[in-house]
Amino acid sequence: MVMESKSSSCNLGILDSLSEESINEILVSWEGFRFSTETLLKDNGNLSIGSDFISAVHLLCKHGLHSLLQDYFLQALEETFERNGVLKFWKHFDAYSDLAIPETNTFDMKEESVQTVLCTALEEICLEKQYQEKCLLMLVHALQSYQDVISKGRHPSDVDRVRLLSRYQLMVSSVLMTSLPRHFPEILRLYFKEKLEELSTMMSGEYEDGNVKDDMDLDGRTKLSFRGGDMDVDETFHEKKISENNKLVRNIGKVVRDLRGLGFTSMTEDAYASAIFLLLKSTVHNLAGDDYRNSVLESIKEWIQDVPLQFLRALLAYLGDSVSYDSPTSGLKSPLASHPSSCYPGINTPSEGLVRWQLRLEYFAYETLQDLRIAKLFEIIVDYPDSSPAIEDLKQCLEYTGQHSKLVESFISALRYRLLTAGASTNDILHQYVSTIKALRIIDPTGVFLEAVGEPIRDYLRGRKDTIKCIVTMLTDGPGGNPNGPGNQGDSLLEELNRDEDSQENTGCDDDFNSDDKQSWINAERWEPDPVEADPLKGSRNRRKIDILGMIVGIIGSKDQLVNEYRVMLAEKLLNKSDYEIDSEIRTLELLKIHFGESSMQRCEIMLNDLIDSKRTNTNIKQTLAQSSQTDGEPGETEVSLRHLDATIISANFWPPIQDETLNLPEAVDHLLSDYAKRFNEIKTPRKLIWKKNLGTVKLELQFEGREVQFTVPPLHAAIIMQFQDQTSWTSKNLAAAIGVPVDTLNRRINFWISKGILSESLGKESDNHIFTLVDGAARNGVNSTNCEDAADEDGERSVASVEEQLLKEMTVYEKFILGMLTNFGSMSLDRIHNTLKMFCVADPPYDKSLQQLQGFLSGLVSEEKLELREGMYILKR
Amino acid sequence: MTTATINHHQYSETQDNTPSAMAAPPTTVTATSSKQPVSLTKTVDTQSVLKRLQSELMSLMMSGAPGISAFPEEDNIFIWKGTICGSKDTAFEGTEYKLSLQFPVDYPFKSPKVKFETMCFHPNVDVCGNICLDILQDKWSSAYDVRTILLSIQSLLGEPNTSSPLNTQAAALWTNQEEYRKMVLKTYKPPSA
Repeated sequence: MVMESKSSSCNLGILDSLSEESINEILVSWEGFRFSTETLLKDNGNLSIGSDFISAVHLLCKHGLHSLLQDYFLQALEETFERNGVLKFWKHFDAYSDLAIPETNTFDMKEESVQTVLCTALEEICLEKQYQEKCLLMLVHALQSYQDVISKGRHPSDVDRVRLLSRYQLMVSSVLMTSLPRHFPEILRLYFKEKLEELSTMMSGEYEDGNVKDDMDLDGRTKLSFRGGDMDVDETFHEKKISENNKLVRNIGKVVRDLRGLGFTSMTEDAYASAIFLLLKSTVHNLAGDDYRNSVLESIKEWIQDVPLQFLRALLAYLGDSVSYDSPTSGLKSPLASHPSSCYPGINTPSEGLVRWQLRLEYFAYETLQDLRIAKLFEIIVDYPDSSPAIEDLKQCLEYTGQHSKLVESFISALRYRLLTAGASTNDILHQYVSTIKALRIIDPTGVFLEAVGEPIRDYLRGRKDTIKCIVTMLTDGPGGNPNGPGNQGDSLLEELNRDEDSQENTGCDDDFNSDDKQSWINAERWEPDPVEADPLKGSRNRRKIDILGMIVGIIGSKDQLVNEYRVMLAEKLLNKSDYEIDSEIRTLELLKIHFGESSMQRCEIMLNDLIDSKRTNTNIKQTLAQSSQTDGEPGETEVSLRHLDATIISANFWPPIQDETLNLPEAVDHLLSDYAKRFNEIKTPRKLIWKKNLGTVKLELQFEGREVQFTVPPLHAAIIMQFQDQTSWTSKNLAAAIGVPVDTLNRRINFWISKGILSESLGKESDNHIFTLVDGAARNGVNSTNCEDAADEDGERSVASVEEQLLKEMTVYEKFILGMLTNFGSMSLDRIHNTLKMFCVADPPYDKSLQQLQGFLSGLVSEEKLELREGMYILKR
Repeated sequence: MTTATINHHQYSETQDNTPSAMAAPPTTVTATSSKQPVSLTKTVDTQSVLKRLQSELMSLMMSGAPGISAFPEEDNIFIWKGTICGSKDTAFEGTEYKLSLQFPVDYPFKSPKVKFETMCFHPNVDVCGNICLDILQDKWSSAYDVRTILLSIQSLLGEPNTSSPLNTQAAALWTNQEEYRKMVLKTYKPPSA
């Protein structure tokens, strides 16, 4: 080639050596060449002119005009191709020109003809092309024969041919590309989409003619009649289908090959790739849907094997595979590459190209499913553990795609939007938190992502007042939520945690026992670095063992607060017991001990021991008192006898502060109590028994004419109703004086009896002095017995000072300190106040609050207008 | 436990001398006192001083006496910052003065060093803030405490001892209360937080 170009264009000296004769010869043969070329390329094509053509070529070549005639010939080809082929070709697609505008919905369904139009158009243009190639080959042939004569095969015979053909190929595709209408790629996509859908429906065994037509939708949201459950069709039907498929695929293959021939290789590939991905996406969406109770990953993989891969396999096989997939093997060996496609016996081991397609498709499927699941992760976790198949799917997807951070981000924003709002109850948030922990533990056993996801929940819960209470309830009570019922039906969270712990420990033990050199070597080899998302401050994964209880306690900040809250709840529970049955409490305590240690549960243990002791002491005292009272005579003088009295004797130091309320019990009962206390003193000298008369429960039986009603109520209620035994009408002031409680307390408590229809209230002479009257038998109906809880809950009455109340009391001391220090130091930051309190506030109990608690308290003071918060500094409000 | 008894012992002695003095209850010493980052040697005495200062702080905070306040510096319970408001119907009405109180290691047997940190135009206060007050010098008794010191200084503002002044100008002006008031306000710089 280099030599030729030199002779033809550069070496102008050759022109001088040309004789007149030879110029003539050139002119004549040039004319001959031009004429024969034209004739060759004419529409109807006349190959008979070949010999003239060849001789003209030979003559011109003799004068060194190879390249000139080649250029001329190609240009003639181009013009003809443009005229005959291209214009006609594009004309076929004019009807679809509005496809280029994506949002045209007016596009009427001409898709029936897309396939046929494309096929005919391709056929036509390919015929044209084939003919032109034939002409080109003729030229090549002529050139070659000349070459052979001149140089005796010095040139490798193929070089010219290959070069000219590739020039021609380039010319064809550039002509097509320059005149490419914008909608052509869309047409291709449409075509492949249809074909694939056809294939897909064929595979699903529900092929309907109208299906493809009706469901065509430009947005790609195609409803497929494909269903995972229909996959297991019998073998013979399978075979038949495959042959059908092969026919379909062969059609497609032809189209693809034609398109490639025209230089649309990459466009075609794009088109069928995007069609496949679109179909895959809609299939994944269809399969996965909103059903979290079944694993869909397998059926998706099956579908990939059945439809797109089969299509590609056939297609690639048809195209000879090597044409475009001969790029060097990248050594890509994923675990998926080892999946043998042995389910189709007729087909050999998958080629490199096919394997790569499979990897692409599976990755895409994983990613689609993952995105789908991540978007719905909130619901999935709400459904946990029913949704664990979906979690497992997600886990596998993430393992493959590694897009955990997507999960974290999306889930956190879902949490913020849907869970951490004022409308959600603390209990719900806590349950979701626990479910989140459990679910994410499956997805990521290292707990790195859990750490990130849990943080916003924990932060939020810290701001809620009832968090601790809910946690304690959740820990100690079963889901049934019946705290007083003996032996909870369902397991409490604590029980569950304990089971988990046991199993975890067992596996942990195995590791320890096998800690010989070999094992530790294996462990070391198995080490993997933390994921990038890990917070380096939070410690390595080795130390990070997912401990649900620990994460829950982490919400509160310290286990002490949790234990304290539990103590209050336990006290409440124990004080309201009418028997000494504490088996379930003991069990809970033992579980708590495992987690929090013996020492922190010591006070609770003493409380329970008090109850056990009470039972013994109670029996003892009753026995001895009964003997002495028998000797003293006059038994049965009062209705209330010792038989009915059971005392709970508590070591007050170890119990939470107990609400004290004075009240005058009926004399008989009071007498009984002092006898009891006296006897206790005799037995347990020097200990004395001090009654908390307002605590406990009283079982009452009210007898009316012909009717008996039973109640279980707090002592105050009993004391009230006892007063009506002798006197059926009381003014509120007198009654309050008789019972020894303030009038407003009485008014509050007496409502219970009024609501039960036992008493009635009427206005007295003074507006604040109501008259209560016992309702007589005739007017009374619908009186039902009730239990203690009703009465207590109605009034929000509690035996034990709640943790909040205790806290408030302590905080008033701190308030004085805070005001004092701010008076002298002007402005102080939260940290400094905290530290100063820690250092100097050594009252009883010493300052032991967390920074969060202090902050809450301070903002309380700010809202009371005692303090101001300015740029992070607290100052006194003046 | 030993510290508690010793302290109590010392304390009851002082109480004999001045029965009227307010006694801080010898309670509330906890293990935290040993954590105080005080550079002094941790003798039994230091412990009892710490305890005494802590209980004084507690009673001062809980008493809520109006117009006086004091609180230890961030990390040293031996150095306090005090605040005194000028009493009503005196030339110092509406003013607020910062003080520093430095307690000796053998407190309460020696008086604390008390100084004005805010400039105070007063016959018994010099330009450096030193105070001439008998109970801070020769009349000191271990029965006094932070609260009584602050109350004394507060009343000193309204009733100066003009016979032995540190600030002669102020002493001379004292007879003319109107002019004096003007002078107080002129020299007064409200503590900048």
